[in-house]
Amino acid sequence: MLAKLRQRDYQILIAFIIVAAILAFWRPHVLISGLQRGSLYVLIALPVGIIYGILGILNLAHGEFMMLGAFFAFSLVTLTGIDPLIAMLPAFPAMFVVGIVTYRLTIKHVVRAPLNQFLLTFGLAVMLAEMANLIWTTRPRIVWVPYAASSATIGPITFGTFEFVYVAAAAIVLVGMFLFLTRTRAGLAAMAVGQNPRGAKLVGIDVERTYMMIFSACLAVLGPIGALFLIRHAIFPEVGGPFSLRAVSIVAMAGFGNLPGILVWGIGLGLAEAFVRSFRGWGGWADIIFFGMIILVVFYRSYQRRVR
Amino acid sequence: MRNWRYIVYIVVISLAISFPFYAGVHPIHVATTILSLLALALSWDILLRGGQLSLGVSAFFGIGSYTTVLTHLNWEVSPLLSIVLGGLAAGVVALVIGLAVLRLRGLYFAIVTLALTFIFIVIVRNLTDLTGGAIGKLIPSVIFGGDPAMIYWLTLAIAVATIITSEIFQKTRIHFALTSIRNNEIAAKSSGIDIFKYLLFAFVVTAVIQGVVGGVHAQRFAFVSPEESFSLTFTILPLAMCLLGGSFSTLGSVIGAGGLGVLAEYLRLMMPRGHLAIYGLVMVMAILLMPKGIVGTIREQLVRRKTASS
Repeated sequence: MLAKLRQRDYQILIAFIIVAAILAFWRPHVLISGLQRGSLYVLIALPVGIIYGILGILNLAHGEFMMLGAFFAFSLVTLTGIDPLIAMLPAFPAMFVVGIVTYRLTIKHVVRAPLNQFLLTFGLAVMLAEMANLIWTTRPRIVWVPYAASSATIGPITFGTFEFVYVAAAAIVLVGMFLFLTRTRAGLAAMAVGQNPRGAKLVGIDVERTYMMIFSACLAVLGPIGALFLIRHAIFPEVGGPFSLRAVSIVAMAGFGNLPGILVWGIGLGLAEAFVRSFRGWGGWADIIFFGMIILVVFYRSYQRRVR
Repeated sequence: MRNWRYIVYIVVISLAISFPFYAGVHPIHVATTILSLLALALSWDILLRGGQLSLGVSAFFGIGSYTTVLTHLNWEVSPLLSIVLGGLAAGVVALVIGLAVLRLRGLYFAIVTLALTFIFIVIVRNLTDLTGGAIGKLIPSVIFGGDPAMIYWLTLAIAVATIITSEIFQKTRIHFALTSIRNNEIAAKSSGIDIFKYLLFAFVVTAVIQGVVGGVHAQRFAFVSPEESFSLTFTILPLAMCLLGGSFSTLGSVIGAGGLGVLAEYLRLMMPRGHLAIYGLVMVMAILLMPKGIVGTIREQLVRRKTASS
């Protein structure tokens, strides 16, 4: 699953660096805000990629689970008055429990049944968003903390510094997941399950338990991410939808099961969106970029397939 | 014992056609909504029979709506013709998208069709001059002067046409092609089935149906707006109906649409916000507890009883 870097990946990486370098000179704030936005996408898409790689389930409800984590943090903050950053700590186990319950009740029964599971997660997404709508209504909620609005000025450009927390978090999650999957026994077992569930079972790995732990862990990560998201963004029940779609699209664009690809495409999507936003009057079109990208990828892949 | 079947058909169809004569305005309105959702559910199911999961019903619905309203407003096309144009526009979009994405396997199809809805919302919202932006467009007069019975018959005709299309898909060789593609694509390919051709055909046909339903919806309420015409409700409701009733069969979607459609009307009154949660729940429960739906489960029971008795 953590594919070895092939030559093509190096080419993509080099093209990526060239684009970033051009942006750095031409429109530096695009580079900064794109990196920050892209990191958020990577943060949400990475767990989706891992769940797909190991359970074979493409989770369309991931953004909605992040919304749930954000609302959990919001409730904590408003009820107890603690700082949202501290709310990250209880959000982690809370989302872990949500993960276990979700897995036990639903996902468990559809593992390795491709059509049904995608439909199931779609149903879950609808349910979560609408239940949040019932509980918290559609009113946007914000939490105001002084440090969220901090900014820095380098030469002619001024940018928000708090958003770099997303870059840091993406790095932490990426490295953490990489170390977990390659250095720990549980992680290696999970990789084995992802490659061949029957083989893994034969050598004595508890496949069922691995599925549950991986799914719950990937949801648990969303608790702190939701709290971080809350600090800088207004939250409402539909806030997760676009993120679900982007996360799933990024996983699809990277090629299912290619984790380094998620990093490249996630940041690339963030940069492209920031680039379009930087033109006055074109900001509304930024949401279309990811679709343009996925259509291009689909056309390219289907062309490739026909040539072969 | 085949004849009683036709008697049932005739009774149901004559009841459906004569419905406006003995029902009030509100029931006619509800029945019209249910019939259009039935057509959406059934058209979604036709594509599912080929193993392709489309989450873009509301995209084609919205494309149909917008094309209908815009051609009617700008070129003064007659309402009925504009509805046809709405269906054609949806078909063309499906053809272009399908040419690329149907060559790929995995979940590309589901993702791209889902993304299609959001994309058209963005396009419609930003092409302010043409589409009226976020506010949408109004047309000055409702189709047939707002006569509920005529609108009902039009919708009924579309629903019946969809049922006939579905039956054609079930009874001809297309059925075997789609079923074999769903069950084992490699086997289908090696038996000489042109997978791509059949899937593309099914995709375009279902998109046309969804576009036409969207066109009728737009003409019936005489307005379009990004949030209303591309609302995910038009994806979620048909999916829930089809899954509850039973996928891979015409009867399943019909029963699911009838049952859930009546329920939906009451839910809308009882729970003004958040009533979509119920459909999400219905979808999840149907997949987990009754993967074959109501019709499939009953059919299974009948077969079991028959084999037990013989």
